[in-house]
Amino acid sequence: MTKALELSNLRKSFGSVEIIRGVNLALRQGERHALIGPNGAGKSTLFHLISGRITPTSGSIRFGGAEIGGKPPAEICRLGLSRSFQITNIFPQMSVLENLRCAVLWKLGHRYSLARPIAKMADVAAECDRLLDELTLAHRRHDSADSLSYPEQRALELGLAVASGAHTLLLDEPMAGMSHSETDAALQLIMKVTEGKTLLMVEHDMGVIFEMADRISVLVYGEIIATGTPAEIRANRAVQEAYLGTSEEETSQ
Amino acid sequence: MTLDSNLTNPVAMARTRWASAGGWLTILVVLVALPTLFSGNAMVSTLSYLGTMAIFALSYNVLLGQTGLLSLGHGTFFGLGGFIATHAVLHMADAGMNFPLPLIPAIGGIGALLLGTFGGWLAAGRGGMPFAMITLGLAELVYAAATLFPSIYGSEEGISMDRMDLGNAFGLSYGPNVDIYIIVAVWFMISAAALYYLTRTPLGLLTNAVRDNGERVEFLGFSARRVRLSAYAIAAGFAGVAGSLAALNFEIITINELGAGTSTLVLLMTYIGGTKHFFGPVLGAIVIGLMKVWLSDISPAWMMYFGLLFIFVVMVAPTGLAGILAAGLELMRSGRLRPQLPLLLAIGATGGLVFAGVIILVEMGYRVGLDAALGPQITVLGLPLVATAIWSWALGFALVFGGSFGLRPLLDRLATLRHSLGAEPTGVAA
Repeated sequence: MTKALELSNLRKSFGSVEIIRGVNLALRQGERHALIGPNGAGKSTLFHLISGRITPTSGSIRFGGAEIGGKPPAEICRLGLSRSFQITNIFPQMSVLENLRCAVLWKLGHRYSLARPIAKMADVAAECDRLLDELTLAHRRHDSADSLSYPEQRALELGLAVASGAHTLLLDEPMAGMSHSETDAALQLIMKVTEGKTLLMVEHDMGVIFEMADRISVLVYGEIIATGTPAEIRANRAVQEAYLGTSEEETSQ
Repeated sequence: MTLDSNLTNPVAMARTRWASAGGWLTILVVLVALPTLFSGNAMVSTLSYLGTMAIFALSYNVLLGQTGLLSLGHGTFFGLGGFIATHAVLHMADAGMNFPLPLIPAIGGIGALLLGTFGGWLAAGRGGMPFAMITLGLAELVYAAATLFPSIYGSEEGISMDRMDLGNAFGLSYGPNVDIYIIVAVWFMISAAALYYLTRTPLGLLTNAVRDNGERVEFLGFSARRVRLSAYAIAAGFAGVAGSLAALNFEIITINELGAGTSTLVLLMTYIGGTKHFFGPVLGAIVIGLMKVWLSDISPAWMMYFGLLFIFVVMVAPTGLAGILAAGLELMRSGRLRPQLPLLLAIGATGGLVFAGVIILVEMGYRVGLDAALGPQITVLGLPLVATAIWSWALGFALVFGGSFGLRPLLDRLATLRHSLGAEPTGVAA
């Protein structure tokens, strides 16, 4: 089986405190993989390591056969791995359309071009129209990003990650702070826009995770204590003790 | 920078295209008409100076407004461009070359672009505070280094040249000031068009993205450093064009042109004009340029008014003069002006009283201080005042404080009125 992303014995220390303590994780091509774990387990740190925001202390991150540990974010993105952020990280003063334009420029090969006005680039326009429709933000295209509602901003956040053309996506709590109905809509959207892509997603809502994930990994105190299908994780004693025990009731509601 | 839109409606698209073409045509007509309206020799020289400063401010806004970078050393490239142009004229005249004078700013611009690329390579690693500090350091470094080479940068009196030494070109001799004005006007059109075009390109969009969120740009595959470097180099290049034009206009350039004063001036012009509108900096350059030329004749306190205007814009109207203007136009178009008009007039009148009070106090302050030798009798705004008399000072303070107290309830009423009209609070923060 081909591995989209492979972490082996990955470690990260901040000073003398080791946050990621030897993580081993392999993502299969095209799977939806959920990363769960209690607060402070190191989920976001792990995402930062993979996406290049911070440099690993030791260990390796292999993506599509190449080592990406310690590479800058831009290079990792160009290889086909992009991410969204837990705290909305968009371009607030720019319009929704301009946000998406920025995200598609690299993959369409325009990069830092000065050759033509962007409004005259038919491929950019077509791709942005497609994304706007998919994200159901078409009616908001000329509104500035900071005027969007919270779920709309989250959709744009997701859209930026998807628009860059990556085939592997890291989504950091895409539904954080949403109501139940908003969560359902967001889940539909994620399933739609990530069709056929490899997905690693941090999420706290167990209902969402058991509904969408092919496999789940459980991160506790900087270590993966279990990886498996939702059923296997549900049945895993160590997971129940460490984490699920309290959430099981929420799930059965 | 809300100039760009991917409009799907062809009629609307054609309309924007016509509106934009009309705008450029208007600028062209104004540029042609100006020297016939203000035809005196000194007047035309002033017009050339304003055009030069307008290019300089536009170039600075590539950094400040578009990329969100606060450069404290933009004057460096203005000065360097001027020196490059001056030496180009001197050397080519010595060598007997017949290089057309109007193309000299291209040499200054390209020179500054190359130096700016090097400077940007040093400064563009990060935005924000580190960027500001590095640009300040670089500017000081260049200034200090320049003083070491009087043969290149001149000493106190600078380097002068004769712009007619290169001979005629394009049927003009470049002796009369109006010939230089033509060069400035053409370069203004070229620079404004090029910088406007920049805002519409992928690189221009990326500069805005770096301004909004430099980190996120990296996660989309781009190097924020490279975007900052490009913006810095482009801004430096057009500052070099402006510096060259200034050198041609005055036929002299001194080391002061690349000092902190020039860097401060362009920051003030750009910010006061308004960084959020493309032509805001031009407005700022005109207003500040005129203040510098005319106000310095009328009042010894012109620098003080300069500072007060800057503080006013920062505190009350952060979108600058262009923002106030745009808000005013929007108000007229929305049809909400009529119910607000009495209040706005009252606010304007009260604000005018405060303003008059400030002028009285400042002028009398200078008269008892710096200009005490001229005697205490002074006429300010047509009022015969005595700078040593308590009643004169009381009048000034009464206007300032009375006006300020009167302004508060008026602004509150305006806010309430606007709220009831359902209008967004625009421009001047009320």
